[in-house]
Amino acid sequence: KDKSAASKDSTHEGAAKRQEDGAETPKQQLLDIIGTMKVEVSYRKKLQQLKASESKKQAMKQLGGLESEGSVPQGITEDTQRGKPLNPELVKAASAVASSLPRNRKQTESELLAQLRRHEETTDKQKKGGTINICNVISEMTVKRQSPAQRGARISGRISLQLDEDGQRIRPERLSAQSMDSRRSLKVGKRLNIFTKASTEPEHTLNTVSSPTIWDMEFAKEVAAVTAQPPRNGFEEMIQWTKEGILWEFPVDNEVGMEDDAEFHEHIFLEKHLEGFPREGPIRHFMELVICGLSKNPYLSVKQKVEHIEWFQKYFEEKKELLQEI
Amino acid sequence: MAAAALCWALRAVRQALPSPCPRQVRSYYVDWRMLRDVKRRKLAYEYADERLRINAIRKNSILPKELQEVADKEIAALPRDSCPVRIRNRCVLTSRPRGVKRRWRLSRIVFRHFADHAQMSGVQRAMW
Repeated sequence: KDKSAASKDSTHEGAAKRQEDGAETPKQQLLDIIGTMKVEVSYRKKLQQLKASESKKQAMKQLGGLESEGSVPQGITEDTQRGKPLNPELVKAASAVASSLPRNRKQTESELLAQLRRHEETTDKQKKGGTINICNVISEMTVKRQSPAQRGARISGRISLQLDEDGQRIRPERLSAQSMDSRRSLKVGKRLNIFTKASTEPEHTLNTVSSPTIWDMEFAKEVAAVTAQPPRNGFEEMIQWTKEGILWEFPVDNEVGMEDDAEFHEHIFLEKHLEGFPREGPIRHFMELVICGLSKNPYLSVKQKVEHIEWFQKYFEEKKELLQEI
Repeated sequence: MAAAALCWALRAVRQALPSPCPRQVRSYYVDWRMLRDVKRRKLAYEYADERLRINAIRKNSILPKELQEVADKEIAALPRDSCPVRIRNRCVLTSRPRGVKRRWRLSRIVFRHFADHAQMSGVQRAMW
């Protein structure tokens, strides 16, 4: 305690020595403020101690400068372990605050000084320009302007729940925002240095056997069987049924399992498949009727229709001799 | 003959599902008649397209009659169980051939049993 007090005195002395007398009063004022900021009564003793020490310092002002100078660098080296000299005023203020706080004076003092060091570091960094420059970030952004119609729509949307026939909420179309996004590209603009690049781990060159062995599959099956708990309630049962395929997915999709990617013209204009048939005669007539019927059929896929026609072609090929007799 | 019967017997026993589901699974058909009905349905599904095409040739006033007679013979040569007319809509639970409501695929007795126990969704006793 004495040591800290001594160092404090030395720093106070040093600061007092460097500054003029006029500047002493604001420091005292600051200390008074810090003293008044406290709530508990017991710390007034410490404040009084401080004030007493202050008065002692003023009395000891007349002492030799060498002594104080010798002690000051000591005090500074004590505080600045990292080799960066902190502003002695800040140090003094920190020590005063530490004294005013209830807990361990030394510990709080060291913590405060550490905080100060951190602040110094950040300010240095900012001076060098390594951290995020908010100017750069904001320069890229633009102010989004809401049209009064949109605003009205949004407000009205908040108030009332507009329901569609399906019971789904009607969303106002936000074309302007989407067009804005599409105009900007991702790679334009300066680097903002917000995110640190994650260190890419060296990819494991040793690749295990890619094809899963039978044992792996068996193990996987076993694990799945063990982890598959019986359903706790009706909802989980329905989920399981949907996964297995017993239950349909709701809302019901009428075209499940029926993926017909063909356009309408492939369904209707089937004459190109009629090239293998004779141009005239009853067979052609018959096949044209077949095609007419197929084009009107919405339930078959194009593949099935083509299969029908090909079957007929094969059939008539086989019966050619018979047909020639007629 | 005996081998064929055995084969069908084996087919009557449906395999249990490989995944251990806690649900009960029916492994047998109710009776042999139901099994034969199942056979007929499968065959009818397989030959449906061919039957449709041959019938299109037969029921035709444009093609020559000789061709149609040939088609008649062809369709008669197909397996007898492949025609859909032989399928009988039996009750799914009791295999009863008569008194089966199409919507529920159940015979009237089973339907009444379930409806009275409130196990038929949306079915209520009529009262007016």
